[in-house]
Amino acid sequence: MPDTAEARQRIRSLLVELLGNDQFVSRVSDTESLRTAGLSSHALVGLLVAMEDAFGFEWQDDVEPEVLRSIDSLAGYVVALRN
Amino acid sequence: MALGLDVPAELAEGAWIEWRPVRRPYGRHQQSAAGSEAAKAALAAAGSAERNVSRDPDGRPRFPRGFAGSISHTERLAVAAVVPGAEAVGIDIENAVISPRVSEFVLRERERRTLLPPAGRYTPRELFSAKEAAFKALNGIGTLGEFLFWQIELSQSDDMLIASYGGERVPVWVRSEAGLSLALAIRR
Repeated sequence: MPDTAEARQRIRSLLVELLGNDQFVSRVSDTESLRTAGLSSHALVGLLVAMEDAFGFEWQDDVEPEVLRSIDSLAGYVVALRN
Repeated sequence: MALGLDVPAELAEGAWIEWRPVRRPYGRHQQSAAGSEAAKAALAAAGSAERNVSRDPDGRPRFPRGFAGSISHTERLAVAAVVPGAEAVGIDIENAVISPRVSEFVLRERERRTLLPPAGRYTPRELFSAKEAAFKALNGIGTLGEFLFWQIELSQSDDMLIASYGGERVPVWVRSEAGLSLALAIRR
């Protein structure tokens, strides 16, 4: 079961795999809005799908937009699911 | 194709659409700059004296009052639409390959069954782009609170798609050519 720091790191790794380089990951902070930082909607959905596989869960249709805002909020959601 | 896609005359009536290339090295700042240039050109064509588009803290473009507009870009191309007097506008261009997994995530079962072939005539990328354009337009109304673009529902209506969320609707037109899809949602 990942703690928040492990989940953050795994999400960063998924973004690197998804984008094919670490340019975005190296400049985005844990709390910064991923969309405002320049992550496309297509890449965001790709990340969410990759998270389902990596962490073994399925996103609910009614997930709150705030959960998807940043690496920190995504990691917090994953950890809360497991606890 | 010169730069971008042509919009049919019936839809383009009263809508000003401008395309601009993204300059090298095609980074975030160049993409944003190309979007701003396209927006300025569309505002100028639409007759707006104010041609600067500021950004809200969340990154959403803020067009001059009375000139509803929207901006989108890929890595290499930017487009802006301005529709004077419209309540809200959303435009989206997309060149990504939409995987079956992403398609399943973004489209509901009914949407996949009725809008994708063989029953429907749209590609997953067109529907992805349609939801993005509709999201920008419906978000521009400002009464729906926070929601996610894939929570919008698409249905067929004559030659257009109708996008719905929270009791609000907006028609969306889509077209594709040479690996690029364009979606335009105008709520007049």
